[in-house]
Amino acid sequence: MNSDKILKRVLFFSSLVIVLIAAAMVFSLFEGSLPSISKFGWRFLISDQWDPTQGSENYGALLFIVGTILTSVLALVIAIPLAFCTSLFVAEYFRGTKLASIVGTLVDLLAGIPSIIYGLWGFYILCPLVVEAGLSPQGFGVFTSALILAIMIVPYATSLSNTTIAMVPNDLKEAAYALGATRLEVIRTVILPNARSGMTASYILAFGRAIGETLAVTMLIGNENAIPHGLFSTGNTMASVIANQFGEASGLQLSALIELALLLFVITTIINAIGKYIIKKIG
Amino acid sequence: MDNIINIGKTAGLLSSIGYRKAKNNIFKILVMVFSFLTISMVFLIIGTLLVKGYKQINLAFFTQVAPDTFTAMMATANGEIIPGGIANGILGSIYLVLIASVIAIPMGIVIGVYLSENSKKKYACVIRDIADIMQGVPSIVIGIIAYIWVVVPLTKGYSVLAGGVALAIMMLPLIVRSTEESLKMVPDTLKEAAIALGTPYYKVIWRVLIPTSFSGLISGILLAVSRVLGETAPLMLTTLGNPDVNWNIAKPGSAVPLLIWQFYNDPNMVNLIWSSTIFLMGFVLILNLISKWIGAKRK
Amino acid sequence: MKKSIVLVALLSLMTLGNKVSAQSISGAGATFPEPFYNAAFASYERAAHAKVTYGGIGSGGGIRSLKDKIVDFGASDAFLTNQELREMPAPIVHIPTCSGAVVVAYNLPGVKQIKLTPTVLASIFLGQIRNWNHPALRKLNPGVRFPNKEITVVHRSDGSGTTNMFTDYLTKVNKVWHSKVGAGKTVNWPVGVGAKGNPGVAGAIHQTQGSIGYIGSEYAFAQREPSALIQNKAGKFIKATVASTSAAGKGKIPADTRVMLTNSSAPTAYPIAGFTWLIIYKDQAYNNRSFAQAQATLKLIDWMVSRNAQALAVKTNYAPLPAGVAARAKAILRTVTYKGKRILK
Repeated sequence: MNSDKILKRVLFFSSLVIVLIAAAMVFSLFEGSLPSISKFGWRFLISDQWDPTQGSENYGALLFIVGTILTSVLALVIAIPLAFCTSLFVAEYFRGTKLASIVGTLVDLLAGIPSIIYGLWGFYILCPLVVEAGLSPQGFGVFTSALILAIMIVPYATSLSNTTIAMVPNDLKEAAYALGATRLEVIRTVILPNARSGMTASYILAFGRAIGETLAVTMLIGNENAIPHGLFSTGNTMASVIANQFGEASGLQLSALIELALLLFVITTIINAIGKYIIKKIG
Repeated sequence: MDNIINIGKTAGLLSSIGYRKAKNNIFKILVMVFSFLTISMVFLIIGTLLVKGYKQINLAFFTQVAPDTFTAMMATANGEIIPGGIANGILGSIYLVLIASVIAIPMGIVIGVYLSENSKKKYACVIRDIADIMQGVPSIVIGIIAYIWVVVPLTKGYSVLAGGVALAIMMLPLIVRSTEESLKMVPDTLKEAAIALGTPYYKVIWRVLIPTSFSGLISGILLAVSRVLGETAPLMLTTLGNPDVNWNIAKPGSAVPLLIWQFYNDPNMVNLIWSSTIFLMGFVLILNLISKWIGAKRK
Repeated sequence: MKKSIVLVALLSLMTLGNKVSAQSISGAGATFPEPFYNAAFASYERAAHAKVTYGGIGSGGGIRSLKDKIVDFGASDAFLTNQELREMPAPIVHIPTCSGAVVVAYNLPGVKQIKLTPTVLASIFLGQIRNWNHPALRKLNPGVRFPNKEITVVHRSDGSGTTNMFTDYLTKVNKVWHSKVGAGKTVNWPVGVGAKGNPGVAGAIHQTQGSIGYIGSEYAFAQREPSALIQNKAGKFIKATVASTSAAGKGKIPADTRVMLTNSSAPTAYPIAGFTWLIIYKDQAYNNRSFAQAQATLKLIDWMVSRNAQALAVKTNYAPLPAGVAARAKAILRTVTYKGKRILK
């Protein structure tokens, strides 16, 4: 047994650690959810009841699933034009210039700003503006959270898009210019078809980010256990209800919250897996 | 060839050149406006913090622990600046990151080395996928995990260790992937030369691979640290907070984001929110920029 | 090499930390008395050199932490129901530390003072009265010019003792509320928006014209939010103050102090008031706790109901315990044991 072999073994076994951690995570979440799963079964996914009153406890995730999907989809709708334009700015219009690297760095900084700071900014600056505009009586709600979420996920949507746009072969672009195409036409007919799947993947990954975002949403969504009936109505997301109630819950309620966490884990994992699959297909 | 003809057709080269040029220019303006909008958020947020928080920043702010409500209330009532600071949060944050680093960095680097050395194996791809999936797990879920693993069975209560474990779980996949990426940048010729000279494998890794990709490793670590430094949700479920400086790993500890959350939740402390936020933001952004700068220098 | 240095440094730090602190006591729970607790614990630390860490994670969290045996004491604004007591792994005792009130805050520019009867208050929170211009409100407040504005109800989104006190009161005074909503730390609200914590509610009220919500008194007093006068059982409209809150605790209370003070019959009492409690195991020898640890915990709580600590309660806008209740708390503490032996003399 020489040192090389030993080292190779050590490396291999240490890599098992990450598999173990991931497996243990799923196991712990599942174990914690068991009381809730055994009591509610599949009804948990389609019931909009969330009633912690002692004696008539009844929990369902539908409210929060809808709230999560609504805020995240809206956030993505707002983020895509921002991310799309920023990517073109950095990877096409001003490619390789100092300006592009400054803009790129600033967008990356957006990813570095902690969630709680976004939440504070939304609470103290954005909410009063929403009230001022007469869009909602108190400034909280799906729209406010989605707006802040959108800004939070732009960096995730651009990072991969920048690479894929920059990777579009130059000779194709040159050929189109030679035919007299304008830059916009080149973007539409050469860059987009070539970079489409990479951009799609980056938007999917950004969507996955939005779904799990906690504190900023908790501070802005209004925390109302009801299905939002409009852009400016309040609601709750899976992450925000966990943040609101985890410290207070016990027994069945705690288990239901852990089941929500498990659900959140499963949903984000599926979304990330789809994103990764697309990236792999590009190579 | 077909490609080019198709492009010519679909680009609508048949409409008038003036109209096409106008469209082109309008689109460029749109791109500029939206990009400007996106980056202006950075300035808006930082600007807000500075305007609202500069009054509260002084030396005591970094050397004293957070005041209790009563002190803050009296100061506010008399129109004075709230005494005290966030020393307990600063030290607590540093302590948490240290614990997380001790757990995650060695482990992450070793796994990263394994991945870059066996990058083609199917098993390595699985590991890589798992690391990427772990990166995407929402931080609040990781907080719950650390609660289940550490708070209840190990420390029998909220503790610094639990927070450290939560942050370590978040750092691990980031470090694994950044290590792998920076090791990939090392030219194969270097490694092959060392092996040809009969250097043992561990020395190749320790003396050739790690040193040549050192700046990449550091840049990845700094980025991972800056990512977990501002995490609040998992700490709410694990370390809880502490009015004092606490070095006991099995007891609750403080952290800057937790203090911000506490100030936000306390009527008398509202004025301390902004200064602590400036501090957190500054810390995170500086780490971010250093990491970027080191990464850029390599290229 | 570097790694080992870091490890050694860490280990030495940990041992250092353990040496400095004589006895370290940890507790968690209610956010409502947190300002008082923080001030009191800080003062205790300065005087007696026992370190106290308190985490305001909410009453439910405090009960759970004690159940999981991860704290020395829990804190709750709602006493444990008989069922909750049965679910605990061992008998526990309640020690009241102070009382507080829940005030009804509102945001109506130009309106300085409004009066509410229990019925009108319940109707607003049931969503039956939806506009400030409602005749019932006008009749109660003849001098006030109400705007024609929709009422936005603001309530808590997290479980809280404040909610428990408020809904307990509404359950007592209103039949419809009793049958439709009920009382608890979290309830299903018929109308309104939720906000996390007292500051969330206060912030939402502050930002929303035409809003009304309920806030812990300690918060309302500190922020000087305008609050409604509530009609008590004796028919008087009472403003929430330290004195009117304290008055609610002067009646008869049961031996274990588990009582809601809402809708008190004392003529000067503010009707939405209640005790907040610290909860501990009746026998302190669990989880291999040392006798010293148990003793330190009890000494701390004993000090909390002493005159010095109660003075701090007043300073931080809480109502002190009436003398009779403080004596009762001290007596309960003297029944707490370690392996069957009494701890405090």
